[in-house]
Amino acid sequence: MIQVKNLVRTFKSGDRTIKPVNDVSFELEQGTLASIVGKSGSGKSTLLSLLGALDKPTSGDVVVNGVSLASMPDGKLTEYRRRDIGFVFQQFNLIPNLSAVDNVMLPMEFAGVRKSVRLARAKELLEQVQLDPEKHVRRINRLSGGEQQRVAIARALANEPKLILADEPTGNLDEQTGEHIIELLSSLSRDHNTTILVVTHDRQLANKTDRRFRLQQGRLTEEPARARVAAAATA
Amino acid sequence: MSVLARSIGNAFRNKVRTGAVVAVLAVAIGLALSMLVANQAVAAKVAELNASVGTVLTVNPAGGQGFEGGGEPLTAEQAATAATVPNVTSVVGTKALRLRNATETAAQAAAQSAAGTQAGGTQGTGPGGGQGGPGGQNTTTLTTSLTAAVDAGTLGGRNQAAEGTTGSTGATQPVRSLPITATGIGAEVDSTGKALSITEGSGLGDYSAESTNALLGTTLAEKNGLKVGSTFTINDKTYTVAGLFDAGTTFGNNALYVTLPSAQTLAALPGELSTMIVTVDTLENVDSTKTAVQAALGTDKADVTQGQNLETAVSSLDSVKNISFIAFVAALGTAGLIILLIMVMLVRERRREIGVLKAIGAPNRTIGLQFVLEALVLVALGSVVGAAVASFASGGIASALISSNTSTTTAATTGRGMPGGAAGFPGGGAGFPGGGAGFPGGQNGPFGGASQLLTTVTASASPGVIAAGIAAVFGVAIIGALVPALLTARIRPIEVLRGE
Ligand SMILES: Nc1ncnc2c1ncn2[C@@H]1O[C@H](COP(=O)(O)OP(=O)(O)OP(=O)(O)O)[C@@H](O)[C@H]1O
Ligand SMILES: [Mg+2]
Repeated sequence: MIQVKNLVRTFKSGDRTIKPVNDVSFELEQGTLASIVGKSGSGKSTLLSLLGALDKPTSGDVVVNGVSLASMPDGKLTEYRRRDIGFVFQQFNLIPNLSAVDNVMLPMEFAGVRKSVRLARAKELLEQVQLDPEKHVRRINRLSGGEQQRVAIARALANEPKLILADEPTGNLDEQTGEHIIELLSSLSRDHNTTILVVTHDRQLANKTDRRFRLQQGRLTEEPARARVAAAATA
Repeated sequence: MSVLARSIGNAFRNKVRTGAVVAVLAVAIGLALSMLVANQAVAAKVAELNASVGTVLTVNPAGGQGFEGGGEPLTAEQAATAATVPNVTSVVGTKALRLRNATETAAQAAAQSAAGTQAGGTQGTGPGGGQGGPGGQNTTTLTTSLTAAVDAGTLGGRNQAAEGTTGSTGATQPVRSLPITATGIGAEVDSTGKALSITEGSGLGDYSAESTNALLGTTLAEKNGLKVGSTFTINDKTYTVAGLFDAGTTFGNNALYVTLPSAQTLAALPGELSTMIVTVDTLENVDSTKTAVQAALGTDKADVTQGQNLETAVSSLDSVKNISFIAFVAALGTAGLIILLIMVMLVRERRREIGVLKAIGAPNRTIGLQFVLEALVLVALGSVVGAAVASFASGGIASALISSNTSTTTAATTGRGMPGGAAGFPGGGAGFPGGGAGFPGGQNGPFGGASQLLTTVTASASPGVIAAGIAAVFGVAIIGALVPALLTARIRPIEVLRGE
């Protein structure tokens, strides 16, 4: 259960203040697959960074299973990121001089998982995102954009987080692979009760989510579930 | 993949830069290690000088020294007087005898009478080690079965001829062997007060009792085919070789030691001393004690000289020690600064990556540790190359330091070629000044030959000193790396969303 309460994030640019996240409130039950759509620059990535405790809100709070992020000291926030959150970055943010497997093992290393266990799990995750086995040990900077994106998804799943925040996880993938990733995410929410919030421009992906949000100039609105059924019918 | 493995990987991410950093570090570390080695070597030398002759005063009869000069001989009573002076820890009397090969002496007797007696007035202005004519009150010449281990050579022949002139190029001199110094000693020390280094056999036991045992210099024993237990004669009296000693110089090894009473008996002068070796408790007290001993014995009776004018030498070496220590600290600081700057640069460069690590939940200390380890990998490489540099350079650096720092004082304090305190009788070096004893006190001279100091230096470039130096380098590197490592704690995870 994640509760977002009157979240505001402002940036000063010159003498103008911009509000990419402007009084955003919503709640997600555990196990919900939700999506956020919105124009470029509408504040989607900024909102995800606040939910993932990468950044601190100007005001408002995020409450995860009853615990407020605003009240957590930095050490606890690090632990929250490590244990409870799986973040798929819009720009992947993998460590370029490490192999795919090493990148996926990294969050597990920080969580103190035994080496043999993390190696086995990293390989399993890379298989799940359909990365060719011979590319598992290849360095990240020798992988294609789509391959890197899948490694980034595998890394986000490494510590079996309760909440996955994915910023355009299918942006660089072909239709077929993209569909596979969507299937993977929905099965996680269905079978593992993982809450998943994806930012996407992909209608197909958005249509498959339980709840759909739209962000416009920092303000969040939810599209009714009916519209989703109707959209699916017209598609 | 562990933190360490990641750190090693990161250290080699940019190979060209890593190479450059290691090279610069190696220079700094190599310099630091060289300076440490030089410092240790000089410190050891200073300690050795202080320990051996640093606190020793030599008392000679007023107006005489060795076999030269005149005046009244020293006596056992004077030794007792000197022993009562405050701060004096021991007084050792010596009695020097000059031994000549018996058969040669007989053969030359006739020729000598024609050429004039040996009691000549040769002036001590000739080349060092070979000067110092006969004469003086202690010229007790005895015969022996031994043959000197040093050939007379040009200098020896000239001096032995005792024509009364120096540098005579006249008629060809007959070939002679040199005399051998036999010294009666009251303790197991050489004629300069330094403990004898016995290489074989044993000492003489009770040095205050008469005995027929003797200690021979290694080369003298070799020349005469003698071993421990062999016998030889002095004035037809049979002596047994109790042990062999190594004085470190050819000249010093052409000598033998007997107990003080034995020498006095041989000379038929009981209670008479050639010199007294007075040991003072600490180096600080040497000056005041010297004055006190001189006063106690009387200026008309005895000349008290301090070791080998060691104070100047020691203070000169001390300044080399200080310079090398400062240079060591400076080079060490430079290595630390290089690490600091490089790591600050790397942290700035990898800001975004550090943000990624934080975003996926890396604790600050893991990231800090990763950077410290990366710095240590660079330092380890720098140390390997630096230690190699140091092992080649330290000898040269040490000798350069010592020669440049002491060249001015060398002339003033040692007076190359002036009569050597312990060697005030004809020496044998063939042809050039310093036939083994050109410096006062022979091998104990403050700059006992650059070569001798250098052997000490190379000997001191030991794994222990290098290891201690590298440990210091690592200590400084950790401090240097800690600052940038702590900087990583301030980087926020949101950096991941910012562009490069
Ligand atoms: N650190 C910052 N300082 C100033 N302005 C910022 C900062 N981060 C984001 N912004 C601004 O906030 C707005 C929202 O940015 P954000 O990255 O959230 O957009 P987005 O919805 O993810 O866009 P896109 O779909 O292109 O990824 C943008 O106008 C951006 O310029
Ligand atoms: Mg974005």
